[in-house]
Amino acid sequence: MTPHHHPSDDTLMAYAAGALSAGPRLVVSVHLSACAHCREAVRAFEAVGGALLDSAPPAAMADDALERLLARIDAEAGLAQVVPLPSARPRAPTTPDGIPLPAALARHSISPWRKLPDLQWARVILADAPDANVILLRIPAGKPAPRHSHTGREFTQVVYGGFSDGRDHYGLGDLTEADQHVDHQPLVDAEGECICLAAVEGRLRIHGVGRLLQPFIGL
Amino acid sequence: MAASITALRRGTRVSDDLSSVRALDAPQAWMQAIAAHRDRAAFAALHRHFAPRLASFLARSGGPTDVEELVQETMLTVWRKADSYNPAQAGVATWIFTIARNLRIDALRRAGRARPPEPGPLDDVDDAADGEALMLAGEREALVRQALGQLPPEQAEVVRLTYFTEQTQAEISRRLGVPLGTVKSRLRLAAKRLSVLLEPGR
Repeated sequence: MTPHHHPSDDTLMAYAAGALSAGPRLVVSVHLSACAHCREAVRAFEAVGGALLDSAPPAAMADDALERLLARIDAEAGLAQVVPLPSARPRAPTTPDGIPLPAALARHSISPWRKLPDLQWARVILADAPDANVILLRIPAGKPAPRHSHTGREFTQVVYGGFSDGRDHYGLGDLTEADQHVDHQPLVDAEGECICLAAVEGRLRIHGVGRLLQPFIGL
Repeated sequence: MAASITALRRGTRVSDDLSSVRALDAPQAWMQAIAAHRDRAAFAALHRHFAPRLASFLARSGGPTDVEELVQETMLTVWRKADSYNPAQAGVATWIFTIARNLRIDALRRAGRARPPEPGPLDDVDDAADGEALMLAGEREALVRQALGQLPPEQAEVVRLTYFTEQTQAEISRRLGVPLGTVKSRLRLAAKRLSVLLEPGR
């Protein structure tokens, strides 16, 4: 599977620099796990970080900096070797009815799914950034997502099925970014339902009937 | 150079004479000595080169982070993980940058600026490491330095702030006192220019 829609270059650069906030960072990492091309791009942007580090002007160091570091190394070596537990990889999460979700979500918690006739959603509560706005959205075949716009950027990764948003079609593995100028209403493919992982910076504005959802989604 | 960039994009050999590009540079030789026999003289040399640069790199993040401790943690991780360094994937400076970046994200998170320690995308994936890749990694480092040098000053500035301070676009906009849209477009242009040089065609 090769994704057709990728994070923008500046998003990949921010990811490599460590400058993306927690929610978008998680969504981009899900894309990367399925996209060798973007992994390669991140590697190149990490090399930018390496070049900047290498050309940073050297700062004055304490005279005994190396000595203290070596003392720490000796202290560690003196300790009994701690045998790390076999890293029990947390099981990849699924929807309640067993559709696999990205493995990267395993380290975070997923709220119970809430249901409306044409929409189900769950919040992803990041282990280290519980305030981040990350949700899973699940919409039946042929149905629209609530029309919405946002005050910040929105990063949406397709993890099951596909949708169109009037600009383009997005399938499994694709990531789309939208900023505050985009006011869109995604429509799920007729062939089957769609699940997306979305991170929103700032607030999400839902229009029309969908406005009723706002307090429930809690963005 | 144009020919070699094209070759790089196709992932083919730049030159048949690989012996000249294959020679390990000094930091790579130090890493190899550390990995192979815990060579303390090599580690001291690596420390002499990178610790002062890490200190100045990390000092600019301006957050509530203890720079000296972060430098120590970074170098300690370099020592512990020396045998997982793969010269086919990245230059030594790039590898150390990613270690410092991850530790800084972690430190900022602990300090209350919530950002989770996701593993880097490259931690999970073991891409093949052969001689050709080794050459490509070296070529990439050279291209990166060249590409950075060619950025217009105002673009280079926002790139530096992004990497050195891990600030978001909004934070950079406040810091420089320029509109957010300007920061966005400078970053977009810089990322585009760098990616054209660095990436295989998308």
